[in-house]
Amino acid sequence: MGRENLAGEALILLRSRLCNPKFVFSPFSDSADSNYSKLKFILSSSVTEACNNSVLLLGPRGCGKNAVLELVIEDLLKEYPDMISVIKLNGLLHSDDNCAVKEIARQLCVEHQLLFSKMVSFDDNTQFMIGMLRECGLAHKTVMFVLDEFDLFAQGKQRLLYCLLDAMQSVTSQAVVIGVSCRLDADQLLEKRVRSRFSHRKLLFLPPSKEDLQRLIKHILVLPTDSSLPHDYVVEFNAKLLNILAKERFKQIIDTLSNSDSTCSNLLRFLFSAVCHMDLKSGFLLIENFKAALSSIQRQPKLEGLKDCSILELYMLVCMWRLEVREQDSYNFNSVMKEYRSIHDSFQTSDYYARNVCLRAFEHLLERELISFMDHRGHNQSTEFRPAKLLISYHELYQGLKSYRSCPAILQKLIDRER
Amino acid sequence: MGKEESPQVVTRRTTRSSSSSTPNSKNLETTKSCNPQPMTINDLVFGDEHISFDDLISSLPGRRSQIHELVRLLGPLNSPTIPLFIYGGTSTGKTSVVLQIFRYLNRPFVYTSCRTCYNPRVLFESILNQLSLHRKDVGNGYSSAKRCERPSDFVNLLREALLTVVNNLKGHLENSSSKKSIGRISGKMVYLIIDNLELVREWDKSANLLPFLFKLYAILMLPEVGLVYISNTSPDTYYSDTGYIEPIPVYFPDYTEEDLRQIFLRNQANQKLYSSFLEVVLRPFCRTTRRVDELSAAFSPLFKKYCEPLSDLGISPSEEMKRRLFSHLQPHIMPSLNEVFKISSRPSSEGESNKEKANRQGCTQRLRGCPAIDEIDFHMSTSAKYLLISAFLASRNPATLDASLFDSTGGSDNRKRKRNSSVKSMEHKEAAEQELLMKGPGTFPLERLLAIFQCITSVEEYTLEEEEPGTNSLGVESGDSGLMSDVLLQVSSLCNANFISKGGSCPLDGSTRYRSTASEDMALKVARSLKFPLSKYLYRR
Amino acid sequence: MAPSAAANSPPSPENTECNLQPFFVLHKALPSNSERKSMEKTASRKRTRRRIDLSPSSPKSSEQSEAEFAGDHHLRTDAFRYVWSKIDSTIKNVLRNINADVFNDILFWVQESFNTTCSCGMPDRAKATRSYPVVTGPLSKQIYTGLVFTQNMELVDDLLTFKDLGLHLTSHGCHVANLSSFDFSAKNGIDGCLRGLLRQFLLANLDVADMSILASWYIDQGNYENPMVVIIDDMERCCGSVLSQFILMLSEWTVKMPIILIVGVATTVDALSSILPSYALQYLSCHKFILGSPADRMEAVIEAVLVKQCSGFSVGHNVAIFLRNYFFRQDGTLTSFVRALKIAIVQHISMEPLSFMLKGLSDEDSQDLWSESPVFLPELFKRAFDLPSFRRNELTETNEEILARGLSDLKRLKELWSSAVMCLYEAGKGHKITMFDLYCETLDPELHHSRVSDHHLGLETKVGMSSSDHQIRERLQNCGFIHQVIRKVRDLPEVLLCQLLKNWEKHTKGIIEIHAKVRELQSSLKFEDDKGLKQGLTDLSKRQKIQSNFNIEKDAKRLNEKTTELIIWMVKNYMLPIECIPFHEIICFTNVSKLQSALIGDPRRTIQVDLLEFHKILKCKCCSKSGNNPLPSMHDTSIMYVLTQEHGDLINLHDWYQSFKASILHPRIKRKHRLKHSPSPKKKMDTSESRKKSEASVQAQFSRAVTELQITGLLRMPTKRRPDYVQRVAFGL
Repeated sequence: MGRENLAGEALILLRSRLCNPKFVFSPFSDSADSNYSKLKFILSSSVTEACNNSVLLLGPRGCGKNAVLELVIEDLLKEYPDMISVIKLNGLLHSDDNCAVKEIARQLCVEHQLLFSKMVSFDDNTQFMIGMLRECGLAHKTVMFVLDEFDLFAQGKQRLLYCLLDAMQSVTSQAVVIGVSCRLDADQLLEKRVRSRFSHRKLLFLPPSKEDLQRLIKHILVLPTDSSLPHDYVVEFNAKLLNILAKERFKQIIDTLSNSDSTCSNLLRFLFSAVCHMDLKSGFLLIENFKAALSSIQRQPKLEGLKDCSILELYMLVCMWRLEVREQDSYNFNSVMKEYRSIHDSFQTSDYYARNVCLRAFEHLLERELISFMDHRGHNQSTEFRPAKLLISYHELYQGLKSYRSCPAILQKLIDRER
Repeated sequence: MGKEESPQVVTRRTTRSSSSSTPNSKNLETTKSCNPQPMTINDLVFGDEHISFDDLISSLPGRRSQIHELVRLLGPLNSPTIPLFIYGGTSTGKTSVVLQIFRYLNRPFVYTSCRTCYNPRVLFESILNQLSLHRKDVGNGYSSAKRCERPSDFVNLLREALLTVVNNLKGHLENSSSKKSIGRISGKMVYLIIDNLELVREWDKSANLLPFLFKLYAILMLPEVGLVYISNTSPDTYYSDTGYIEPIPVYFPDYTEEDLRQIFLRNQANQKLYSSFLEVVLRPFCRTTRRVDELSAAFSPLFKKYCEPLSDLGISPSEEMKRRLFSHLQPHIMPSLNEVFKISSRPSSEGESNKEKANRQGCTQRLRGCPAIDEIDFHMSTSAKYLLISAFLASRNPATLDASLFDSTGGSDNRKRKRNSSVKSMEHKEAAEQELLMKGPGTFPLERLLAIFQCITSVEEYTLEEEEPGTNSLGVESGDSGLMSDVLLQVSSLCNANFISKGGSCPLDGSTRYRSTASEDMALKVARSLKFPLSKYLYRR
Repeated sequence: MAPSAAANSPPSPENTECNLQPFFVLHKALPSNSERKSMEKTASRKRTRRRIDLSPSSPKSSEQSEAEFAGDHHLRTDAFRYVWSKIDSTIKNVLRNINADVFNDILFWVQESFNTTCSCGMPDRAKATRSYPVVTGPLSKQIYTGLVFTQNMELVDDLLTFKDLGLHLTSHGCHVANLSSFDFSAKNGIDGCLRGLLRQFLLANLDVADMSILASWYIDQGNYENPMVVIIDDMERCCGSVLSQFILMLSEWTVKMPIILIVGVATTVDALSSILPSYALQYLSCHKFILGSPADRMEAVIEAVLVKQCSGFSVGHNVAIFLRNYFFRQDGTLTSFVRALKIAIVQHISMEPLSFMLKGLSDEDSQDLWSESPVFLPELFKRAFDLPSFRRNELTETNEEILARGLSDLKRLKELWSSAVMCLYEAGKGHKITMFDLYCETLDPELHHSRVSDHHLGLETKVGMSSSDHQIRERLQNCGFIHQVIRKVRDLPEVLLCQLLKNWEKHTKGIIEIHAKVRELQSSLKFEDDKGLKQGLTDLSKRQKIQSNFNIEKDAKRLNEKTTELIIWMVKNYMLPIECIPFHEIICFTNVSKLQSALIGDPRRTIQVDLLEFHKILKCKCCSKSGNNPLPSMHDTSIMYVLTQEHGDLINLHDWYQSFKASILHPRIKRKHRLKHSPSPKKKMDTSESRKKSEASVQAQFSRAVTELQITGLLRMPTKRRPDYVQRVAFGL
């Protein structure tokens, strides 16, 4: 079954493309006013002119800040071999100054084939770093500090940032600090002494426009003709793909997708699952795959949770909702139980269970996180006394009850009546 | 979470008959010579032998679509993948499905559960140990391969370990392609499975840890690594302030009634009998809970009951027999519907010395259900009982009423006082009741407890005397002072027995405040055992 | 601190139960008004308390006690050792027998559940140490849990029980870990809990605790031969979240490690559910085991120790009642009862000069009672013969063999008494008549005297038996339990009756007269029922059968009557309370007040009194005369405390310090200063006066004294809000 193997290969190719951000963001490199060119200009100038510099890459998550940066650095490393050494830090890992400096020292050692010892104190590491900066400056070698999750470095004393930027004030050193953050006010987080030393270059990364999205999709999904895959298959594949992309329904799908979240990463996930839905028998992408992908990407957890509930848990939810409608400021399991009893007394429902079973249902709801406790204090108190609250809106509850099969009519009635 | 794979049972049976009979002896002498065989890279795949896709599907009823989706997302051999996020309620078979799929795919994986690995360090070290094929034993003093506490160290170590493993796999691939005999391990991808991710939110410093775990794929930038997160709660419960790169969600819904029926019917000896049993019980129980474990815990004793009239369990029941069995089962369904937890006490487990206690406690077996008996079934000294009662009063009654309820004469004339107090209580009865429902029992300082205790005992002493006929000669010098002797020891032991909980200290004065956690019927029982008129002292009751 | 320390921590190694006492002090030290309540007590108590706290072996106590002549000191000590060792071993045996069958049940259950676990398949070594859970079925995550109900709110008695249980299981090859609630504290969390577990199993301390370690350890132990048992002795005290975490963690490892939980539940089953959330509860499959309730244990102990005399020692009526009330009212722990018993023995031996004969008496051969102490033989006789119990029956001549005879029939009467009590107990067993009550009642002298009064006329007219025991019944109306027992006996069905008689026969073995009667009754019973049987066989005519049945009924009734008479007769003639027997003082302890004060004395008060009237303890000449005004020669702490008396509940540290300093440096001037409250001039004065004491040393003394006062719980240290004030928490005596 050769066709299946072909499809498999194509699938692997597409998947590896989707998992490789450099490839994904390469089309943005050509245009002159793209972030890519700006960033490359900044960096290369500071390399060539041997000056210190600092820049912030800001923008929401999944807009390819890091990818573009990677591309740029790659090119620069190609253009200026052994004139650049890159130090990468991540705020999630190195927000603590001590281990940040240690990490810098480690990477510097790796760069320059020095041996690194863990047991060195913070000050020694700092000294070492500054010394290395000076050395690199004398050797006309630019050190690039890439600080991912830059905002996390700004919390705390910012000693690291201060050291870096202060070291860069001296003429001898030659370094670039590149901060990457998804907080647009990242530079506002800096202390005065740090901010004064920081050159306020900012590059703003925005989610791609519709056209860009289209380009991106094409760029990713269209199979290359110059590959191991046989030519005719590739042609057929691309042809099918293109007329899918041209379809109105596909445009609608993309719109619904980008309405919720128009970032690249979201698109990538969408495309990934679409590709995964590809039927290997036929070996071509179909519009259905995209639809399935959309539904699997865009989920409504609360409604799913509601569907999972048992009847008793639904009763609990409705009771809580009734309590909330009555503007009862805060309530706990006991009051819910009271409400449940009153409902039972007034309507003689068939399923009326003992208190302990209801408590178990209540705890199930807590596990599903359809409800939660008001406060995280009062752990010493037992469950039934801690005030609780609903985590779902009336609309969701209503939807859930409507879509719940074999939902007791009484619950529907209650929820209809109370609105 | 999920607990349903029949083939694993079967296969394990076979493996035990084949491997674990001989390995047992082998392991014995290995333990004697204390050199367990070193782990190979084959230990990274699921232990048992390979299963086909069909018995994968059939072994996990009601999970067909999820299995299909997961297999698709994991993709063909050596294809990189975006991190997956598997979520769904408790006991919906998430863990088992993932494990079985990896068993089917024979791909190397590393599984860690954030429940067993209860803090970052244990989590990191367990991942690193498995990757570096390290096993804790006596030889290395049960220490792990690398000491690793910080995420920063973890990333470096993890990258090294992964690279070595991936290289091993590649080498393995080459020479296994030459001769297929060795190693059923396939592919050069390594998958990290992190289970019970929702627990990480309770860890301290999780503010950075969770985004880190989610971003691990982007940080590593190794295409040969696949990440699978398994969680009880949906992805929207993980949002931190600056968000994170979302993995691809895969949802495991709870089992439907039909799925449950299939699950329960699997590896039953007598399918017909059990299905007829399920027809009776499954629907009512599904209205309260749809969890496999809870249901099966409830069913197993019921099925025993159901089978009681039958002589042989092999028969397939006819209609009228079903009816008979049902009528036999009928009385037991409702009680077991209303209990969450059953204690089986075997008749042999009580010596004849405490037979009557045994069948007295027979009815307290239902947990959280109020036991129907009058006397408390454990020993408390009289003063402890009085303390318990006074603590109960102290946390039920408002402190302002103490003066009217217990005056110096010990409430001898507290009937009229009681009346006007109840009149006063009438208007904000509702509010007070709400408040009681909300806050639960109120707190009180130790002094108040002791004062109430003093009053009660001073009242009850002489009444006690003529109430106990036998002891009027005996209770000679056990006066008030006698009861007061070491009340504080009693308080502490009540605290230990969870009848009084020691709350936080009051902000105004440093004294700690207490709260009575004894349930009302417990207090009533104690009062009854003392012939103490609790209702007389209890505020609006 | 020295005197008070001596007062609340006994130095002697023997009464180790009293080691609870510092704890006791700290507890009572907490609030201010509690001890105010417990303050209305006689001041005499403190002396006695001090005495018993110091052990009898220390010379001080023996000289304080009424025993003057010195040489018998060692006799008493080894008499004490002897008696106590006997009683102690007896108690231990009793408890072991009570627990034995429950332990066996538990062991059986453990092995059973272990087999079921193994039967559903055990993973091999490679799998067992893997990290992913092995699941074999819907219920494979369940943990077998034994709930052991110690039907006592207090835990003290059962700590030992659980240790024994652990040993018992270990001896049968299980791997056992004994965890307590301290391992489940919220502070240490699950980490500490796992550490505890590993420490118990691996006997090693690891830097990071982890279940996988346990798994590999278990595999190394030879795989799947023995179960692992984890015993948690006090569930109520555990922190619920930690416990549930622990359970969930175990449930991930169930198949790989056959761990079986044994949880001690002190109160009720509901406690478990109140602690654990449902998602943790559902992993427990529970079995219930019930330990003997403290009441049962008490019965057994009383029976073994006090009724059937394991050692010669016995207690008087009031003491028995006091013990009973203490058990049922104060705290129902066997431990405290045993402690009380021990204190009683100690006091008895330290007070009663002739008590050293206990050893000889309880030995079988009562010949050489006083041969060990030939030195003060006349002394001994004198003492023996002016014992009140001897002088009561006015015998004029006093010589050796009378004493010997007296002692020997003291023993005999005690045996009679105990067998009679046992018979009563047997009769009343099924009917909620507890040994303790029966015991107390049968010890009551005046009840006995009432019986004895008509006992005489019962003897002088043989025919008047019925009338006399009628009167006796009259008498028995008012006294509770014996009468109830007799009523029970009267309407006892036949089967039970002969069983009862069998038991009686067992109990009265060795006492000829009762035994004979019982035998005779039994034989008559046999005769009766086989006669009835014969009748039933022979004449088949309905009427006769009915009639025969009828007179079988009658015979049975008559038998009951006979038995009743027998027991009444026993009660009347043989159940002689110990306190009515001459020479009983030698072996019987009757002083309730001392015991009470020793047991529930209150140490805070003692501390205060010692601090105020310290010169009674350290009998120094210097400060005994000066009434209540501090002298420099006094102990710092007591000076401080004396100074405290003139403050309110808040003490200004500065004033206090000044007056303290003054009283140390110069009492008289300080008194002048006390009149006009201005510390300023005093300063230069005493600086001018005394070079010898530097300011620093005074401050040092001051601060030390303050800490001691705080430690004894008489002060509360300055708070944030009022840094310059300490708070008095002890007021008035």
